[in-house]
Amino acid sequence: MASTGITPKESTAFRRGVVNGRPITPKEREDMLKPFLPDPPPPLPSPAKAQAETASLKPRVGPVRNFVHFVIYHIIAFVFSVFFRFRRAWRLVKSKVVALLKYHHRTPEFIQRDVKHLDRLPQHLSVILDLHENDEDQGSAGLEGLVNDVCEIAAWTASAGIPFLSVYEKTGKLKGYIPQTHRSVSQTFEAYFGARRKPTLSVRAPHVQSYSPPLTPPQSDSAESNDPTNERQHLTLLLLSATDGRDTMIDLTKTLADMAQHGTLKPKHIDANLIDVELRDAVSTEPDLLILFSPKVVLEGYPPWQLRLTEIFHLPDNKGVNYQVFLRALHKYAKVEMRLGR
Amino acid sequence: MEGSIHEGRVRKWLASSPPVAWTFRQLRELLIGALRQGPIPQHVAFVMDGNRRFARDHRIETVEGHNLGFEALARILEVCYKTGVKVVTIYAFSIENFKRSKHEVDALMAMAKLKLGQLSEHGALLDRYGASIRILGQRNLVKPDVLEAIDRAVALTAKNDKAILNVCFPYTSRDEITGAVKKTVDTYSQPIRNPPSSLKRPFSETHITQHIRNQMLGEGSDDVSEQSTSRSTSPSSSSKEEKSTHTSATSTAFSPSEKGESNPGAPNFLDPETITAETLTDNMLTSGAPPLDLLVRTSGVQRLSDFMLWQCHENTSIVFLDCLWPEFDLWNFLPVLVEWQWQRKKIQEQERGRTRSKSD
Repeated sequence: MASTGITPKESTAFRRGVVNGRPITPKEREDMLKPFLPDPPPPLPSPAKAQAETASLKPRVGPVRNFVHFVIYHIIAFVFSVFFRFRRAWRLVKSKVVALLKYHHRTPEFIQRDVKHLDRLPQHLSVILDLHENDEDQGSAGLEGLVNDVCEIAAWTASAGIPFLSVYEKTGKLKGYIPQTHRSVSQTFEAYFGARRKPTLSVRAPHVQSYSPPLTPPQSDSAESNDPTNERQHLTLLLLSATDGRDTMIDLTKTLADMAQHGTLKPKHIDANLIDVELRDAVSTEPDLLILFSPKVVLEGYPPWQLRLTEIFHLPDNKGVNYQVFLRALHKYAKVEMRLGR
Repeated sequence: MEGSIHEGRVRKWLASSPPVAWTFRQLRELLIGALRQGPIPQHVAFVMDGNRRFARDHRIETVEGHNLGFEALARILEVCYKTGVKVVTIYAFSIENFKRSKHEVDALMAMAKLKLGQLSEHGALLDRYGASIRILGQRNLVKPDVLEAIDRAVALTAKNDKAILNVCFPYTSRDEITGAVKKTVDTYSQPIRNPPSSLKRPFSETHITQHIRNQMLGEGSDDVSEQSTSRSTSPSSSSKEEKSTHTSATSTAFSPSEKGESNPGAPNFLDPETITAETLTDNMLTSGAPPLDLLVRTSGVQRLSDFMLWQCHENTSIVFLDCLWPEFDLWNFLPVLVEWQWQRKKIQEQERGRTRSKSD
């Protein structure tokens, strides 16, 4: 409170509406406010006077004051840019250290140990990934890098025991490679869990049939039929893109408008419930937790309707997919209480 | 600000003594003036979260926490408008908040009424900021007396156009989106009486057939025309003639649908395929506002909680701060703004680099 530049007399006037022990009048309040207000706007700009006014306005701002502002702005910008860079470096070092301490070693047991003490896990986890066009970001460039990221995240998710993962990637390039993605993720599962314990997987995208090849289950079933205690986990992987956001909302509106024009629907029957049901069927349910691997929170067109109460996690200045972001997101999620406005 | 709000008396006394207060005020003005030199977000949204936790932490009444939250709002609005932000949108009350205790809801409503009432007493001063107030949300959920205060304040400031304060009061974003969809469907399901000429193609069929006929007449009279052109045109023209006769022959079959356009009895609608994201955006409660540049949520909760979903899911920078809303001030907002300016400059540099590499 020290730094607001407001005297106690003013603040009691503001809070209680009292000055010197009696209620404040509108006139007094105006007088008290005067020093805080910006300059009065010029009287109604009549076209003839407009030029003269701007001329008379300029000197009032003052070139000296303007110059002082300019200098201070650049000092602030410089100081902060140094600060931001140092902070980024510091966070990078910190995350590297944590990454060394907490590594999953591609074994589900390690991941299970990391999440074991969490009170609750999201049932629907969502991540936003980027497709890096150029080769600047080594290791994660192009479609191959993207599929790698998806594989790793899917394996962590399955290890943590989360049944549903949706992956948002703006361009939707992955949607064209669903069988290939399925194969890659299955391979990663095998590397993590081993051939006998690996979770089953189905990959789908909105408006595309769920892809889960019937080839693998019978094979492994025959191998495990004598092991009834082993109930294998299942992971559903949903691929989302920018078209599942606004475009789907627009398509829905078009359909509704069409129906209204043919008299099969009255506009007054449209409510949040109807839209919710339609979008849930067409796209996805609300994710419980959304993890961003980007340095700042920008949603890049993620389906808006579904974001209502989603917990959004990002690690400031983090760049690229890594296990510690995933883990810290789960930790943060477990501590949060849902209040639903209450 | 550790412990109770009553601690640190001496420091507080010192800070609130007139000369120190004056210095701080000058410093604030200077910083705000300096910020103006850089790029400034055109539209900023705030989720004012943490009033109740602040009250709990400082062992004061919940309502008092909301009062302090209102003070923080006044401070931050001053900063925003003086730096040149055009639109500020605040999440004042969610439809979900009606689930809170009746005492608290009533107190919040009373506060809204009181503050808006006070505001209405100072029409001339509001003109200095040139800010107009708009209330976004479900009006029918608000009690009539509060609604009256709202309407008075809105009407009083309606003519100001330098800045806008959007107060989301009984608001949820899903409700807003539903409203926009409904409104769009409503417009598109209204039959148009006089179809605007822009919908019709600017060519008239009768004019074209007339033209072809004239051309054929011209060709018939003019035998000296070049062989090649007559050869090339005559089949096409004959086929066109066939078509025209065809249409005239079938025109009886088509006439109901064709005449429907001019016939006011038959319904004629706007084409649903012309619905775009802009249509929906224009039907949102924030229509006309510049795109949301920055969304700030205090108190460390990293959720949108049904706020501005449609507006913030594309390029908006979303910032989650750990401080509680009543503590929020220029000193917390300054780093956010500077970081935004820094990011904006970097994006601009990247874009410039990209265009340069493209032009190479």
